[in-house]
Amino acid sequence: MGPAPTLRRGMLVLSALLLLGGVSAPGWLPRAYAEYGDVVINNYSDGAGMRPVVFPHWFHRIRFRCKVCHADLGFQFQAGGNEINMLRIIDGEFCGACHNGDVAWSVENCTLCHSAKPGTPTQVHESTLQKLIGRGSPASAGSAGAVPASTPGAGTR
Amino acid sequence: MTPGAVRPSALRSMALGAFCLLALAAGNADPARAAEPAHGERIYRAVCIGCHQIGVLGAPKAGDRAAWEARLAKGLAPLVDNALNGFGKMPPRGGNPNLGAADVREAIRFMAGAELVTEATSGGGSAAVSAAVPVAAAGGAPGRSGPGTGPAPSDPQAPAGSGRGAEVVKRVCQGCHQIGVLGAPRIGSQKDWAPRLKKGEDTLVHNAAKGIGNMPPKGGQPELTADDLRAAIAFMVRPPPAPASTAAVGAAAATGAASAASAPAATATAAQPPQGAGVNRFNRLLRPPASRNPPPLRDGIHDPANDGTAVLQPPRQAFEPLPDSASGNHVDWVLALEQGLIQPRWDLADPGRKPLVMDLNIVREVKGSMPNVVYPHKQHLQWLDCSNCHPKIFQPKKGANQISMAEILLGRKCGVCHGKVAFPVSECRRCHSQKKPELAHK
Repeated sequence: MGPAPTLRRGMLVLSALLLLGGVSAPGWLPRAYAEYGDVVINNYSDGAGMRPVVFPHWFHRIRFRCKVCHADLGFQFQAGGNEINMLRIIDGEFCGACHNGDVAWSVENCTLCHSAKPGTPTQVHESTLQKLIGRGSPASAGSAGAVPASTPGAGTR
Repeated sequence: MTPGAVRPSALRSMALGAFCLLALAAGNADPARAAEPAHGERIYRAVCIGCHQIGVLGAPKAGDRAAWEARLAKGLAPLVDNALNGFGKMPPRGGNPNLGAADVREAIRFMAGAELVTEATSGGGSAAVSAAVPVAAAGGAPGRSGPGTGPAPSDPQAPAGSGRGAEVVKRVCQGCHQIGVLGAPRIGSQKDWAPRLKKGEDTLVHNAAKGIGNMPPKGGQPELTADDLRAAIAFMVRPPPAPASTAAVGAAAATGAASAASAPAATATAAQPPQGAGVNRFNRLLRPPASRNPPPLRDGIHDPANDGTAVLQPPRQAFEPLPDSASGNHVDWVLALEQGLIQPRWDLADPGRKPLVMDLNIVREVKGSMPNVVYPHKQHLQWLDCSNCHPKIFQPKKGANQISMAEILLGRKCGVCHGKVAFPVSECRRCHSQKKPELAHK
């Protein structure tokens, strides 16, 4: 069987080339972009060995007006600016005001919130600030992991 | 329903290979129920849209001609058959057991485009096509074609001898257990099943019957008996050696990440030749419309390896009924609220409470040639409470606030929301909306 190994090697080379092409992502390839207003919160997650939290603004604003969270529940207008931890959530503060199994699904669904790529810094994705100052993309997760959670470019102000 | 640009070519060729086998199978089409195109669209909106709108887990996207052309190459009947019986990561009948062959066919006709389907069924050229349609028409029996209609290879997804277990798995369990949705142990995965098997088979059957963790009782099908569950578990723990097509699907699942990364290079050029590829692409630095509102699995921040990611709603699905806008989420949220297309609560507990809206416009005269800014309290108070802005961000006194575009761009003043969640600053004219009399020279 002469041609078979050659063919196999050819396919290997081809797929390696395609893979490399995909990774280096030329401009005309659709790149991954987060949804406008998605907030990644990584105050404690990385340190606790959990994936950071993704908060989708769009999903919540379909169901609640801004005021419910930002006035009634006391969320500051600042990504990472709320000292949210799991204890406060299960005591009914912040996310826990709804995510209690009553208004919305409860806290044991860890992976629905803790769903970001590990090492993603705290920031508002697709925000003007992120575009102006630069994104801490998960692609650079290795270096971003070393940066403190509230980097100046994190779109938090 | 934007036409998708990218399809993993590896997946496509595997799917083609599988179709070759499936072409032998007799379809169970029901010509009496052939329906008008509107029916297909209805089915699509009710069932298929969840995956086929944005191409979840490699589903061919509605309106993506290239993706459907490849699948229709062998004709419509094998495709209908696949959709009925489940294929790859697609659950049988898209997860809705009430769908018939005619429903599925109409939905495919809608998603692929009527002329593409007609082309495939009439002038397809391949023997399989011309044969499949008459067979489908002749074998009008409801339900799946019985074992008498052909030899074993008629159904490559159900290996011979697996019997009841295979049938239950295919009809009910594989929707979650094929790819391990929410941590479900995957079919044939020793790693997933070994710790569970330690508890004993009876415990497993009992848990499956009562529901455990994220699994609903009996996988959501109350008519299943304990024996069905036992057979299904036995099948999932150790499925019989897979024939070619199942192996291909498994391989596709295993290399999913790799092919997703590698294949675009091959297919993107084929999918959108008029755009011009490479260095001379039209609007090189502009984000292509197809990349807007990506599903969580492809948005670059969600971890595709995370169980929950696949469960999250793709934004495009939620935005479909909402009015479009040029930037941000590409949704005009204010209009959506005005038109009653969304009913976000004003109060956490009381869905009936309405905001007290003050209709007061504040005009800010601005320097330079830009039109003056009109700040409408009305649209803001639909969403916000006075205390959100006053007095921390804005002094509640006309002329007391220094506001500049630089501050807004840095996320202060209006930029606390605009440029993060409210429409971004690129929409200049939505704020700078009042003509200055001395400059209105046109």
